[in-house]
Amino acid sequence: MTAPYILLLSLLGLMFNLALAGLVIQPDWAAALLLAAMLAQRGNWVWALPGFWAHDLVLHWSSLVCLPVAVLIPFFLAKADERLGPGLPQRILLMFAGLFPLLWFGWSFSQWLLTLMVCTCAWYFIVHPDVKPA
Amino acid sequence: MPQRRSPLRILSWLGLLLVLLVSIQQLPVGQQLNLGMAPLLTALQAPGRWWQEASLWLHERSQLQTDYQQATARLEKQSVLTQEVRSLREENRQLRALLDIQQITGYHWHAAKVQGRSPDKMSRRLILLVQNAAPDDVIVSSDGLVGLVDHSKPGSAVVRTILDAAIAVPVTMPDRVLAVLVRGQGDRLMVDFVPIENAPKPGSILQTSGAGGIFPAGIPVARITKVEPIPGQVFAKVDAEPVAHWQRESWLAIASATERSAQ
Repeated sequence: MTAPYILLLSLLGLMFNLALAGLVIQPDWAAALLLAAMLAQRGNWVWALPGFWAHDLVLHWSSLVCLPVAVLIPFFLAKADERLGPGLPQRILLMFAGLFPLLWFGWSFSQWLLTLMVCTCAWYFIVHPDVKPA
Repeated sequence: MPQRRSPLRILSWLGLLLVLLVSIQQLPVGQQLNLGMAPLLTALQAPGRWWQEASLWLHERSQLQTDYQQATARLEKQSVLTQEVRSLREENRQLRALLDIQQITGYHWHAAKVQGRSPDKMSRRLILLVQNAAPDDVIVSSDGLVGLVDHSKPGSAVVRTILDAAIAVPVTMPDRVLAVLVRGQGDRLMVDFVPIENAPKPGSILQTSGAGGIFPAGIPVARITKVEPIPGQVFAKVDAEPVAHWQRESWLAIASATERSAQ
């Protein structure tokens, strides 16, 4: 049931990014939510990767921004979980790796930092859906 | 026992995906998606517009009267200036005819509202709310050249700014024999083919030369920031920044070639 909500919120995030860029500093909402979904549950890559593709096309007119790294995340996550056992360190590392291309493609450091924060919060709420935000 | 997938198979799938992505890269999918999202952006910005209209509606009457008087005074000054501009334009036309200089004609100018922009810090791409824009129409701000219309549909257009690597602008300097190209590098501009002995100084402004027929001549494009001679090479490494600032502009001008418009 998470997929439709995350995808809908990501679309809304893309619209916010386009409509309000230049007015306020905002994170990359869609990338943060999609990456959080993948980190929360490995199987979510099935719908998160097409989401990343749409994200790259809408915001950067290219398929090769976040998607190439995002494609590798489920693979590396599975390998790391197999070797080290399911855990946080590899996920945190992959979160940084997944959002790193944004810095390369012209996003400011403050936007990147905000994206990282949104991703962490979204990840927490996807893992614990029963927790209500304060 | 879960079946293990061979690394070769995974690599071949990844390779296939990469080929697919690179081939899709050539198609204007992102541009079409941006054009398709234009009505959604209008809807998203609606509360802001309503707020603006409501605050205008609730503006105090006395303030409105003062504004009206100021506007009337400004209009009078404006009409005097308009008259002056007309006579200067006529004088300019006659002088250009005498000196045999080409007029910047053949372009139809109109205004466009900025509806959205890419969220990178330099806003490399813009979405404009505009009627009758066509690909390759030139976008200009009050300071200088902004970019080119990439794709359009009735009511909106997507723009690549000069920071985009896909655009090269032929430029010159008014008082020099210099014909160079300005190319986007993402967050800055690079000036190609600048001979070392003829390199402009940092701070110089480059303007469109009109070569190629896409950009009207005489529009400021770039300010030189760094000139670095490379030993053993004919051309200097020249960095520049755009003269125009479109990151916060709400309105921009579009120059459509009249020949293209007629077609």
